[in-house]
Amino acid sequence: MTEAERAYLWLRACAPLDDRGRVALLRAAHDPAELFAHAERYRELADGKEFGRYGERLEAVNRFLAMLDGKNIFAVTPLSDDYPEALAHAPSPPLALFGKGNRALLRERLFCVVGSRLIPPWAEKLGKQIAEELSARFAIVTGIAEGGDCAAIAGALPGGKLISVLPCWLEDCYPAAHAALKERIAQSGLLLTELLPGEETRKYTFHARNRILAGLCEGVLVLSAREKSGTLITANCALEAGRDVFALPHNAGSAAGEGCNALIKSGAYLVTCAADIFSVYGMQSAARKTLSLTAEEERVMEALEGGDLHAAALAERVGMKIFEAGAVLSSLEMKGLVAKAGANTYTAIARGGTRREEIDNSD
Amino acid sequence: MIAKILSYALNGLEGVPVEVETDVNRGMPAYEMVGLPDTAVKESKERVRSALKNSGLLFPMNRITVNFAPADVKKEGASFDLPIAISLLKASEQLVGSRLDGTVILGELALSGDVRPVSGLLPILISAKQRGYTRFIVPADNAREASYLDGAEIVPVRTLGQAVAHILGTAPIPPLAFSSFTPRPSADASDDLRFVKGQPMARRALEIAVAGGHNLLLAGPPGSGKTMLARCIPTVMPELTFDEALEITAIHSVAGTLGEEGIVSARPFRTPHHTATTVSMCGGGNRTVHPGEISLAHGGVLFLDELPEYKRSTLEALRQPLEDGKITVSRAGGTATFPARFMLCASMNPCPCGNYGSAHRVCTCTPAEIRNYRRRISGPLLDRIDLQVEVDDVGYDDLSDGEAAESSERVRERVNTARRIQRARFAGTEISTNAQMGERELARFCPLGREGNEVLRAAFERLNLSARGRARVIKVARTIADLDCSEDILPRHLYEAVSYRLGEKLGG
Repeated sequence: MTEAERAYLWLRACAPLDDRGRVALLRAAHDPAELFAHAERYRELADGKEFGRYGERLEAVNRFLAMLDGKNIFAVTPLSDDYPEALAHAPSPPLALFGKGNRALLRERLFCVVGSRLIPPWAEKLGKQIAEELSARFAIVTGIAEGGDCAAIAGALPGGKLISVLPCWLEDCYPAAHAALKERIAQSGLLLTELLPGEETRKYTFHARNRILAGLCEGVLVLSAREKSGTLITANCALEAGRDVFALPHNAGSAAGEGCNALIKSGAYLVTCAADIFSVYGMQSAARKTLSLTAEEERVMEALEGGDLHAAALAERVGMKIFEAGAVLSSLEMKGLVAKAGANTYTAIARGGTRREEIDNSD
Repeated sequence: MIAKILSYALNGLEGVPVEVETDVNRGMPAYEMVGLPDTAVKESKERVRSALKNSGLLFPMNRITVNFAPADVKKEGASFDLPIAISLLKASEQLVGSRLDGTVILGELALSGDVRPVSGLLPILISAKQRGYTRFIVPADNAREASYLDGAEIVPVRTLGQAVAHILGTAPIPPLAFSSFTPRPSADASDDLRFVKGQPMARRALEIAVAGGHNLLLAGPPGSGKTMLARCIPTVMPELTFDEALEITAIHSVAGTLGEEGIVSARPFRTPHHTATTVSMCGGGNRTVHPGEISLAHGGVLFLDELPEYKRSTLEALRQPLEDGKITVSRAGGTATFPARFMLCASMNPCPCGNYGSAHRVCTCTPAEIRNYRRRISGPLLDRIDLQVEVDDVGYDDLSDGEAAESSERVRERVNTARRIQRARFAGTEISTNAQMGERELARFCPLGREGNEVLRAAFERLNLSARGRARVIKVARTIADLDCSEDILPRHLYEAVSYRLGEKLGG
């Protein structure tokens, strides 16, 4: 690690400053390296805080680095060659990012998939599918909460192309119930954070995290959001940073989707399948293979095309017994063509105009 | 003179013979009781003294010693009053010429000399008969219960005077006639699937659950009829056989909950409240062991309404009896084993407010609240519930729909057919229903074929089915195939079996 990078780390992790102090000093000194070398010159800007001698500062950074090393955690500064360029050009880029897992993911093209914690089951299923398909071309960036984040994680993590940005230090866990999930991400994907050990998770750390989510990637897909949802903060950050915003359309009037529909109304891309996103970036979607359906499955799919149906109503419409329809539905569910929309109510999942085709993951 | 009278104590459902020995000696009038009697037995002194006096009999003014043998078994309850009184009369030579060898006497005395009923009579009679005793003198109020014991001479007595007259032969009482058993259609006529509106999925799940002896979990919003559905379960279960009825009656007799009829002729339906403690659920007691709710539900249904509200430790205690069909309770006073093979039916809301996943209403719970609510039910317990089904929010149209649904009677016919197939399949093995199958039986009776294995593999991968969930699906598919009268488990049976699981959000 170069002297200049150490300077960033010292400023972020070791200098006795708060965020405002860091910004003030950096503005005065123009360069962290200058600050690191001659910190005492800027003492009056920092309320006379003691920065120690140069040797002490260097030792503090080295101790911090050794601590990270011992925990298999790496640090990225704006001078590192894998500091994502998009993030560097976003508003208020972090002075340092700490990561655990597959560092190479930072060099991939990045795309962000988020959703509120309370998410309709169909949106969760569809989100997982889209994330899975997108991960053929992008590494997926998301958080680690329930609902939308989990859908993205479930889709992209098996392929290893997942970056989860935490609102807390890497060894803390929020929500605590996702400790095991966090370990799995550290193993096959990548965990990132800008926070330091001991810095607590507060409301504003989520906002700050959302700015990183938006800053890292080329576009943001919002799976679900209520009228006032934290997810919309990510979307707003994305707009500020000049990223593309995509959203799943929800039924008009459904509370869980008001935010998404509002985004679409104000100009976000409407997304019903991964191909919609690929086409914006001029990519071809992956090759598809056809699924063969039995006659009964065809009939059920046709009935569901008209809209969500209760299993009993569906059975009546296609002239089957309720338990026969139940069997066909669970077979279709396994093929990923329908999802439960509520208690015993089913919905057909569209697959970008070529509904009855499945992505061939072999290529 | 020493007199010996045979009586019985109860340990769990097992009768223990107790000999009541009385010696009347010359000396200062005294009345001693030895042989580990508890307070209720010691108090019998006063009852016996008054009962004798009020029946016109003589209480000897001598030195009286009553001994209970074997001396190391704790004697409890008031059922020794009558044998003590009789042995006292015999020892004081007021019953000259009587033959009481091999006669088991049981009964509590009132001060007036009336004989009061005792609890746990039927299990005592059954144990005593197994030991070869066939002559009994029992309280008349227990007569109905006792009359179901075949091949024994059971004399019901209403007062101490009657008993003495019978023993002396001055007024013999005819022994009880054996009552033949007629199973009663379970529960009230008001509980019938005919009156359950809508709920086609839940009805089907209920039918499968009963047919294969599976446990059932109903999840749905408040007021959707989960309790109503559960109450219908006994109405579609096969009728009790006499042996089953005797076993169930024995348990209820010990618990003292036997009604007028004297025998349990309908399948029990127990609904312990969610404040129930582990002891009330599994059985226990200070010294003697009383059966708990799970034993009282033996042969019938244990319905746990609002499953997550129960104390976690209480629910965890159900795991072993669910597996073994019996429970062994150890207390200071000894160890007792009670049968506890019941069908577990549980109900729960999808979330604390009850509206999660509802099409019409909005859930106001946070994800953490929902998670905590569901975490109260452990995975191992859920793994023992083969069928999990969501109950619909009933719309107004369903309620006002005049069309009558299928009655319990017709569902029961199909259940009986499926049970017959299972009896034939498991003839000669320990088990009797599909739900009890272990890995060995699964391999033997549930070959899936190549196509079936493909379906299961897909379910594994697409639906995050756990390894433990696999056995659950196969067992349910076996029952569905039986209801379909199909020898093999076909893919469509597996698909249907897979559909009886709650969404990933809801537990397993």
